[in-house]
Order: sequence, then C-alpha cells, then structure tokens
Amino acid sequence: MKLASYRKKSPWILHYNAGGCNGCDIEILACLSPKYDIERFGMINTGNPKQSDILLVTGPVTKRNRERLVEIYAQMPEPKVVVACGACASTGGVFRGMYNCEGGIDQYIPVDVYVCGCGTRPEQIIDGVVQALAILETKTKELEESVRLNKEAIKENKQLNRRNIADEIKPVYT
Amino acid sequence: MAKQYEIPIGAQHISLLEPLHFKFTTENEKIVATEANVYYVHRGIEQACCSKFKFRQVSFVVGRVCGLCSISHTTAYSQVAEKLLKIEIPLRAKYLRMLVIELDRIHSHLLCLSHVAENSGFEALFMKTMQYREFSMELLEAVCGNRIQYDFSIVGGVARDLKPQVAQSIMERLKKFIPQLDELMDIYKNNWTLSLKNKGAGAITKEDAMRLNVVGPFARAAGLAVDVRNETEDLLPWKEVGFEMVTETTGDVYARNMVRLRELYVSIRIIENIINGLPESALVTETKAFPDGEATVRLEAPRGELFYYAKGNKTQVLERLKIKAPTFSNVAAMTEAFTGNEYGSAPAIIASYDPCLSCTAR
Ligand code: SF4
Repeated sequence: MKLASYRKKSPWILHYNAGGCNGCDIEILACLSPKYDIERFGMINTGNPKQSDILLVTGPVTKRNRERLVEIYAQMPEPKVVVACGACASTGGVFRGMYNCEGGIDQYIPVDVYVCGCGTRPEQIIDGVVQALAILETKTKELEESVRLNKEAIKENKQLNRRNIADEIKPVYT
Repeated sequence: MAKQYEIPIGAQHISLLEPLHFKFTTENEKIVATEANVYYVHRGIEQACCSKFKFRQVSFVVGRVCGLCSISHTTAYSQVAEKLLKIEIPLRAKYLRMLVIELDRIHSHLLCLSHVAENSGFEALFMKTMQYREFSMELLEAVCGNRIQYDFSIVGGVARDLKPQVAQSIMERLKKFIPQLDELMDIYKNNWTLSLKNKGAGAITKEDAMRLNVVGPFARAAGLAVDVRNETEDLLPWKEVGFEMVTETTGDVYARNMVRLRELYVSIRIIENIINGLPESALVTETKAFPDGEATVRLEAPRGELFYYAKGNKTQVLERLKIKAPTFSNVAAMTEAFTGNEYGSAPAIIASYDPCLSCTAR
C-alpha cells in the first residue's frame, strides 16, 4: 500500500536510445541539470529496468535495437508508463521509410505519452513526464483493484498504428 | 595466468547515452582485451539521401545524423553541395557558419566534460558543468531558433541573419562565462580526487595514435597536432579568426579534459573575433544549377575530422553521398586504449572518448 504513494512522489525513469540522433537524449540529460532540475519531481535516472517506472524512449526503432527495446520493456515491473520523446520516436519523423528503421516505437510497445518536436525541448519532456505521472497513478489504481477483487486487469489495446505484419521479435540472448 | 572473465557493457547502460556494446575480457580487474560493437543505430541515411530526398532537402536530413554536431554535418554537406554546384557563398554566411560551429563546440565539449565527471563518480561537478553549459544552449537558440537541430546552414548560405541584439548578448554572456570556465579549469586540473580516476587512465601513446589513425581531441591529447581547422583555408577562413592548435602530451583522460577545456578558450576567442569583424553581405547565393561531378569536404567537428563525399549527375537527386564521422576513425584506438586499465574506470574512459555512435553508424 505504501509503495504506491511513494511511487507517485518519486517515479524513477529509465532512458533508452532506440536509434535517434542523440538530440533528444542530450535534452533528457539537460532535464537532469540544475536549470530544469527534474529531480524536484523526485525523478532519478536509473540504469536498471527492474527498478524503474517510466521508460523514456528516443529514436525510431532500428532493426537492431528493437529486440533490446522489447526486452527492456518486458523487464520493467508493472505498472509502467512509456513516453516517446521526439518526433522520430513518435512516428519515425525524418527517418520514416529508411530501410533500417521501423518508424516509431509504438510499432512494438504500447506508448502512453507522445512528446513532439525535433528535438524536443526540456520543458516539453518535463510536461510529458508529468502527464505520465497521472497515467501511472490510474494504472496503479487499476492494478490494485484487480488484485483486491481478484480479477483480471483490464487490458485495452492502446496501440494505434501497430503494424499487422511486424517482424517477429527474437529473444536477445539465445 | 589468472582466470579470465568476460564483462559486457551495453547496449543499455546508465553511463551510456547511446546503444553501444563493449565486451571486456578481464583478469583480476585488469582489462586485457576489448571488443566494440557500435552499429546499433544504423538507419540507412546515406541511402535515403540518394533516393528519397532532393539535394536541397538533404542538408536537413544529414543534420539528423547526429544531434550533438548537427551544424557540422549540415555545414559539411552544404559545402560539398556548393562545390558540386560550383558556387561561392557570401562572406557573411561563412563567418556565421563558423560562429555557430564554435558555439556548438562549446556545448559539445562541456557536455563531454560533464559526462566524464559523472562517470568518474563526481556528481556535483556534473551538475556544475551542465549548469554552465546552459548558456551556450540559450545562445544557440537565440542565433538559430532551436536548442538542438539548428538547420542553420543551407545549400548556398545560411538560413538566418545574426541580429545586433543577439550579437551583443553573445558578447555579454561570453564575458560572464570566462570566470566560470576558469573555475571549471581549476577543478578539472587540480582536484585530487578526480585526478585519481583520470590521470593515467585510458592512455594512448603518440605512436599508437598515429598508427591507429586517431582524430580530434583524442589525438591532440596524445600529442598529435591534427586539426582540420589548421589545414584547410579554402572554405572557411579559420586562421584569420584566430585559431590556435591545442595539444597535450600524456594522452590519458586527464589530458583529454585539458584539451577540451583549453579549446573552449580558443572557441571563445574565435567567437569574439567573428562578432567584432562580421562583414556585411547577402546571406545566400541563389542558383538554378544542378549538382554535377564529384567533390569531397573535410571539416573539424567537435569530435574530429568529418569527411563528406558526394557525386551528382545533373538531377535533383544525388547519386552517392558518403559520410565518414570522426568516431569511426577512433573505434580502433578506443578498444586499444582500454588495455591495462582497471575495469572500474572503464565508464570514465568511454565518456572521455566522447563517442558519437549515431554519427558512426549513420
Ligand atoms: S526527434 Fe529529432 S532531435 Fe530527437 S532524436 Fe529524433 S531526429 Fe534527433
């Protein structure tokens, strides 16, 4: 019970670059710096998927990155929120249609918040993450309810434009 | 022989900004061999530039090769396209390009320094450096209109003019920045705790640097005086605006920090000289020609020599575009310089290379 209230006050973020140009990544780094200071929301950048609540992804998914992305997403504990940072993470952006790109992370994992811009500004990223906090809270409530009433959690399919014939995901470690 | 262990770092790791995979073979904490795997972010930009986009659009696409040195990429592409079109750009555009490249160098070097500090375990210094770095982002936003991805150079010139108020604010902010830079210099140079992590770590000798074809601050820290700004004069007049070569001798993480910090002083001087003597002229040379023939261009990006090759065939779409980024030259030396170091200092060493994999893999 306690954990849920802590989680709202101190969500930990995990950052993964799925093939973008670094532009949005350095803006995420700038969010950690004193001017924007994302830590006032209690957020810390962790490197460990098993401890994090919010996944920040940048970049269109390259073919080589997508297994790792799905693996990281699968390793995060529920409830979890995914924020797509930047135009190319949301839709593929300028890279859409290039031969080694998949065009947006929502082809592979469900995305809750889309942050636009190429590159995104730190203010936008903070705004997106704060929106993600609200989503995290509702997700937590749903999860708790399903545990209390001992029933299946509602699984909505929120993936808007998922490809029907996306390539098969292979496990990273065989 | 002690037992050997294999330790991987990456593709996702707290100390890495980008997906990059190192596999270290260690023997009692000492790294004896390294394998690097850098092609996680290959997107196929070169191919798209030669098929999907027209040659005037390509300058915006190649900016997205790398967000840290996007101005170097756009400028290098614009220059190579101008060579194919056989046009000369206005003088003011040349100086404005140099101005933005140097501002970009300030932000990139400070980012790298802060990253080294963080990976050495000096969180406070990371915060301090990032705080001082914000001024350069604000100036870039004032000059170009965006914090990253400036799209400032276009084929034939530059996209925006420098307003007098902005020029004045640049001078004021730089004046404020110099004492801050002195303070950073003092910490990076004299802090004893930081020196334990940085001095002697990841060292490479001058001969090895020469043999492995190292470029950029990595090479200059080892004593090799390689800098494209020193070698080419035809496209951008670097010597005229007061460029000076900076070299160190030891080639370790500490020397790389010193090279970057001292280059910041050079960059500040260059920016001041450019603003004081900015010539008046048009911003863009208009032309209706199509690219024809072959051309190459070299440019000094924050990480070293950037090389562009392009081939046109009198149509809107280029026939071939080849990008060789600085980190690509450095990968061989990167794996070599780990040998003999403690595994614990590996993150700091990686950060001090300032690797840019989205450039390398394109
Ligand atoms: S949205 Fe733009 S700035 Fe951000 S990672 Fe993608 S290409 Fe780079």
